[in-house]
Amino acid sequence: MAETSRLAGTKRGRGDEEIGADSNSNADSDPRQALGLENNLTFSDTLVALQMMRSQFPSVEKVTIQPFILQSQLYSSVKDRTQVDRDLESLKKEKVLRVFKLSTGQDDHAIMFMEDYLKQMASSVKRFEKEKQHDLEVFEWFKTYVMESKLDVCIAHQELCSLLSHGGEVTDRHVTLLISAGLLTRQLIDPNMYWFAIPNIGSILKGLSQGRKELLSLLNRRKYKEMPLAPLEKKRLRLSPLDMRFHLRDLIGSGHLKSLQTPAGIIVRVAKD
Amino acid sequence: MLLQAWQVDLTEGRYLLSGASDGSAAVYDIQHTTDYDGGLIAKHKNLFVVDKQHNHGHKFAISTAIWYPIDTGLFITGSFDHHVKVWDTNMIQVVMDFKMPGKVYGTAMSSIATAHMLIATGSADVQVRLCDIASGAFTHTLSGHRDGVMSLEWSTSSEWILMTGGCDGAIRFWDIRRAGCFCVLDQSRSQLGRRPPFSQGTPKRVLEDFIASTVSTGKSSFEKTPVSQKRMPVGNGKKQLTTSRKNQNVSGGPSTQRLHPGMSSSHNRATAHYGAVTGLRATSDGMYLLSSGSDSRLRLWDIESGCNTLVNFEAMRLQTSKAIQLAAFQDSSLVFVPSMASVKAYDMWSGTNLGTFRGHYELVNCCYFNLQDQELYTGSNDRQILVWSPSIPAVTVMEEDDKKGQTLSTDRDNWSD
Repeated sequence: MAETSRLAGTKRGRGDEEIGADSNSNADSDPRQALGLENNLTFSDTLVALQMMRSQFPSVEKVTIQPFILQSQLYSSVKDRTQVDRDLESLKKEKVLRVFKLSTGQDDHAIMFMEDYLKQMASSVKRFEKEKQHDLEVFEWFKTYVMESKLDVCIAHQELCSLLSHGGEVTDRHVTLLISAGLLTRQLIDPNMYWFAIPNIGSILKGLSQGRKELLSLLNRRKYKEMPLAPLEKKRLRLSPLDMRFHLRDLIGSGHLKSLQTPAGIIVRVAKD
Repeated sequence: MLLQAWQVDLTEGRYLLSGASDGSAAVYDIQHTTDYDGGLIAKHKNLFVVDKQHNHGHKFAISTAIWYPIDTGLFITGSFDHHVKVWDTNMIQVVMDFKMPGKVYGTAMSSIATAHMLIATGSADVQVRLCDIASGAFTHTLSGHRDGVMSLEWSTSSEWILMTGGCDGAIRFWDIRRAGCFCVLDQSRSQLGRRPPFSQGTPKRVLEDFIASTVSTGKSSFEKTPVSQKRMPVGNGKKQLTTSRKNQNVSGGPSTQRLHPGMSSSHNRATAHYGAVTGLRATSDGMYLLSSGSDSRLRLWDIESGCNTLVNFEAMRLQTSKAIQLAAFQDSSLVFVPSMASVKAYDMWSGTNLGTFRGHYELVNCCYFNLQDQELYTGSNDRQILVWSPSIPAVTVMEEDDKKGQTLSTDRDNWSD
């Protein structure tokens, strides 16, 4: 019991070595895992990395959201980036997961497992059902026709309508409903193209960009712009609901931070160029 | 005076032509140093400078400078003053002047051309114009881009194929003998590895019309050459047309554009990058194309299949507003990319970072790798061209003269010019 209370401080670091672990009680078997990110920084395989990071997704209080992984996190976790890209491509084709382009940066992508996405979609549709009573069949059409065949991150208006019309007569109201449910977003540069989107993710994305800025400024304020990983991981970010490990993986993967091995452990430093 | 663009001549590999942002172009001899700086650093003075005081010189910044590919008797400069000028090197006179509708971002001439002497110019206007040196007029305009065209590259395997990258993020392939582009690279179409697996008979591919490629029948029957077009069975041709039409993403209603077989519609909105395409470089065997974009990604494309090979070049930050010059070498599988204030070298097939060259103080705009001498030349906004070479530990420096004829920083005896 004393052991678990000691490990309670590093809330996510323990017990996640079992794949798909939802229970986090048997961590005291391996005190090595209390180090959290330090030992779990890299994985050997993309799918293993995805599943690990999915189980390590922080729980957000106000919003119920299924776990998603940022593509930059994947790059920091698996050594060979080209292999990551290729594995992602084949997993996309097998419909195991879906990739979404986020609006928080120029090249930000989020990866979500298909079953998580369907759960997220179902919960957002449920809220819709309480308010409006008609035209709700478009969500079924969307799930059956569009999600199965269109595996890209974006879709054109024409193609969307032609795919949805397999279910029935499509009107503009249907498309409006999809947009307001958060499943599609209009592209800013092109009025006829839509991005696929994760519903109810807005506050998380805001927290993501603010958390990134906060972490970078935290390191930039230090004299040598670096900090050892172990104490850094224990800090809490004020502005982001996501935990420190999430942000660290993301920033290391996108190249803003560098992690170096030293005799005293891993040190995280702001990348110079 | 900030260095914007340059080229080492292709015939001898000896003269470096550089264009700068104050409208001056200078030529350097890179094989002869003029003096030594402190005994270790060699300095090269320019052979001549053409600047604003020249009566036909450019008035604004020069954005592109290339040699005539056949010999060093002519060179071509393009500038933000909307003009492309052809100069005679020995007389230092303007021989020909082309006025473009917008700021000129890039020019290119095909180094393997035997039947034409066309300068392809990309400007802030959406159309790519081909200027002919022989006649002094524009021969073609290629339309299809939706924003300015920032980078151009002729194919290294065919003298008729031009590849252009625009500010709208699209890379288009043009066969200049036909109207319209025949291929638009789409970053979502990808293949795993260097060559596409044979068994993927993809009916969704945009048709390609590739000259000088092998005529293959059977599974990859979507490729055709003009010679074999007549021999293709009609039914097959129709099927390919309908699939190409389905892939067009014609937006906003039933307005169809009459397409010639093998042509890609200008409505095709596939993008190669999420931002502008800032640099293009083809490998010397004509099989792969490297493109850099303002989304700070570098992508390697297989030209024959038009697919993204998904090689991930590790995180870099690229400048977003100007075109940059990449250098790619297939023999040694190296790619050099100017990334902010340093130049990074990558392995072409795996994308790993092999090294970073840090020596400049400001943004690096262009880099060129001289294969014969195994030297890398980098030019940047800090008015210096640095030469990096593997054998000599010290770096040789070529200093730019600014207009008053003074060199920077050093108080060397420069009365020798």
